[in-house]
Amino acid sequence: MPLDLSFSCPLPNGVHARPASALEEVARTFTADVVLLNQRTGRSANAKSILSIVGADIRFSDPCLLKINGTDEDRAMAALGSFIRNTLPRQEAALPAIAIADGELRLPPCLGKSGAVFRRGTSVVPGIAQGKLIRASSFNVPDGLALDGVEDVAAEQKRVENALEELITWYGQRAVAAGKGVESELLIAHRSLARDDEFRKSILDAIQLNRRTAAGAIADAEARFTTLFATSENVMLRERVLDIKDVCGQLLQKVYGSAAANRSLVLAEDSIVVADSLTPCQFLALDCRLLKGLVLAEAGTTSHTVILARSFGIPTLVGVEKISNGFGDTIEAVLDADLGVLVTSLTDMARRYYAMERERLDGRQFVLRHFGEKPAATQDGHPLEIAANIATLDEANRAFAAGAEGIGLFRTEMLYLDRVSAPDEAEQYEVYHRVIEAADGCPAIIRTMDIGGDKPVGYLNLPSEHNPFLGYRAVRIYPELETLFRTQIRALVRASAQGPLRLMVPMIATVEEVRWVKKVVAEEQARCAAESISFDPAMEIGAMIEVPSAVFILNELSGELDFFSIGSNDLLQYFMAVDRANSRVAKLYNPLQPGFLRLLKQIADTARAKNKWIGFCGEMGGQKRYLPLLAGLRLNELSVSAPAIGGLKAELAQLNLKDCEELLEDALQRTTATEVAELLDDFSVRHSAPLLGEDLIVVDADAATKEEAIKRAVDLLYVHGRTEQPRVLEEAIWEREANYSTGFGHGFAIPHCKNAAIQANSLVLLKLRQPVAWNSSDDKPVSVVILLVIRDFDGATEHMKIISTLARQIMHEDFRASIEQTNDAAALCALLKNRLNC
Amino acid sequence: MKIVAVTACPTGIAHTYMAAEQLEKTAKKLGHSIKVETQGAMGIENKLTEADIEAAGVVILAVDIAVEESERFERVRTIKVPVQAAMKNPEAIFAQI
Repeated sequence: MPLDLSFSCPLPNGVHARPASALEEVARTFTADVVLLNQRTGRSANAKSILSIVGADIRFSDPCLLKINGTDEDRAMAALGSFIRNTLPRQEAALPAIAIADGELRLPPCLGKSGAVFRRGTSVVPGIAQGKLIRASSFNVPDGLALDGVEDVAAEQKRVENALEELITWYGQRAVAAGKGVESELLIAHRSLARDDEFRKSILDAIQLNRRTAAGAIADAEARFTTLFATSENVMLRERVLDIKDVCGQLLQKVYGSAAANRSLVLAEDSIVVADSLTPCQFLALDCRLLKGLVLAEAGTTSHTVILARSFGIPTLVGVEKISNGFGDTIEAVLDADLGVLVTSLTDMARRYYAMERERLDGRQFVLRHFGEKPAATQDGHPLEIAANIATLDEANRAFAAGAEGIGLFRTEMLYLDRVSAPDEAEQYEVYHRVIEAADGCPAIIRTMDIGGDKPVGYLNLPSEHNPFLGYRAVRIYPELETLFRTQIRALVRASAQGPLRLMVPMIATVEEVRWVKKVVAEEQARCAAESISFDPAMEIGAMIEVPSAVFILNELSGELDFFSIGSNDLLQYFMAVDRANSRVAKLYNPLQPGFLRLLKQIADTARAKNKWIGFCGEMGGQKRYLPLLAGLRLNELSVSAPAIGGLKAELAQLNLKDCEELLEDALQRTTATEVAELLDDFSVRHSAPLLGEDLIVVDADAATKEEAIKRAVDLLYVHGRTEQPRVLEEAIWEREANYSTGFGHGFAIPHCKNAAIQANSLVLLKLRQPVAWNSSDDKPVSVVILLVIRDFDGATEHMKIISTLARQIMHEDFRASIEQTNDAAALCALLKNRLNC
Repeated sequence: MKIVAVTACPTGIAHTYMAAEQLEKTAKKLGHSIKVETQGAMGIENKLTEADIEAAGVVILAVDIAVEESERFERVRTIKVPVQAAMKNPEAIFAQI
């Protein structure tokens, strides 16, 4: 008796290749026929064929029907039902929204006036690349291959069948070799296309019915399916055209060997590859060390090629106008994906601009590395370990390169999501082992799986829930899925032999949960001992503090556990009873709520009284703004995302523990989050970096124009972490300059602005190598530039007093003369401090 | 002569104070006594009192923006110039006195 399952498409982008591939994975495990009917269009599809599913053109909220018919239809119905409810809604590729370039192109003044040629595109991976432009072409059948006139149809079909089998195996092997990540997901998607029934049938039919050769039949299939995808109204489908081209190109090579090899692109020097379209495998075949940038005429923001470029960090522009003509090969260009332009016909000024950009970015890296390499501590020497939150091995490596002092949270659930069965012990052991290896003696906190509830896993067949956020997830599902849990514990116990591994359990709400987990760990340790498998018997076990009840039994938990880590994201949601994704209540999700701060204080105090190590791994920890409060809690560790590490260490080095403790005490007395925010603003003004310092003085600045001088001064603020938005500041300064020139004569200029994009009030002094025109009131060129940038909530502050003193002093010739005569940054700094009484 | 003045520029960071200094410097050089109120980022400083204004022969307003509490100067002879004029050529302003 056939079974029906109706649903409406939950995916905003429709059922494109990725969800189709996931559905196919489930459907093909059963012998029953599974037909998917799109009730809006009346099109039906074979659910065991991705191309067929995709051809049904299912869009958001389309009514759909799955018809299941065959001997194992009951089991298929249960599995597909769980898939539709739990897995399908999560099949949306998590991609950041990308703004399509529109409106007027605003370039920084020294670039805009450079005379270079700018082609605009949409930036999909940020960054700046410089190199030779090299053109790549996509799928085509090489000239020498015949397309028609096959005599032995069966033999030709056999060749294609064999090649397909070979290709399917090859994709599988490469996917395993690629480990987990974008590349492997892509290869698996391509494998699904290669074993697609419709795809195979279309090629075999063309050989039989039209007497096409393998090459001709593959070319037909390429044309047919790319047209089908390209004419879809669904953007996500249109962008899968490249995948079809790719699989067809690979298949052609498998049938014909090197005779059909696409002339692959060989990079000989730093290159920017330009293509109307570039297939994912063409991308992977490029030498990543020399591939500096990518310019694509087609390919939208979610194509696999773009996803790969993002994971490799290759600056990429798409939709670039007029790239198919207008310039030959091998010309030098800059791809500026930060500004969204491809720059050709580079002039000296444009080259100088990009040399300055490189100095700016390298300078920032240098400063961050400088702090990254040092152990994190406050100005007065109190350590606060800065560790990293990771979900993959790659991230572990990046985190340690950025200066992480440990892994504060490894979210292992990523190992379980987006796949058809749970990872086995060997696979898990391999990952944990390699994370510990990457940590190289630093502690690594590995959190057992937090799945179920709002992170459903299709193959576990957990029932869907009315309120998954408060439901069956994390430690709560372990007893029912004991085998699955024991597998993870055993992999962790084994990995503990390799280095300081600390096991952390999520969602602990009661002491019984802890006791149960500890019993399982002890049993698995005993089993390992019995089998003479080495492990660390002293492996620490801790709990993530994210359920408010745990805070009030922390004394008892301390008796059972070795450490705690505050998971502030969920703790705050549960504590305030607010879903942060719900925009109507999200404003309550504010870590500055006095109640929440008092909760944090209680956790920190209790843990310290019990002599327990206490860390913090929520997003709040990665934001500089909250650092003084968290430092005041005297935690042992803050675990944050890798890119935040250097900046936090630098910020921490500016703070004094006593000030932070006083700030926290003060905040705990406040009544509202607004009052705490004001307190924090006031603190950041009082404790921000000093107005001037040696690092903001340059005595031999190389600037050919006023535009360059202003850029140099602003870049210095970026390098030293005083602004994250140098372009905003630059624009504000030029806006002020538009009133009237700040060159007030005597070879001095005093550009300035008041802007929230500056984090600390700053005075930059540049003495220029050669004077530049500034439209000064006495028409003289300028050789001393003093840039003043003030945060806009300032009033009569200490800093403003210094600046007004400077403004007055500078009207005196003797003050200007002493600046002109001093040619050493330290001496100039001392001179200014002396004359400005600061 | 006794002179009072107000300086104010749009951002209130630099030119307000530079112009004030320039007016004070020039007045001293020319033998006048002057009191300059600044209306800048720090708010009103060195505020002119009723008595200051009463005693003054002239008010110099070196301003690019509206002066706060301008009604104070209604009964006194006023010379109004852009801030830049006070910086570039202060003598020319004093010549108008």
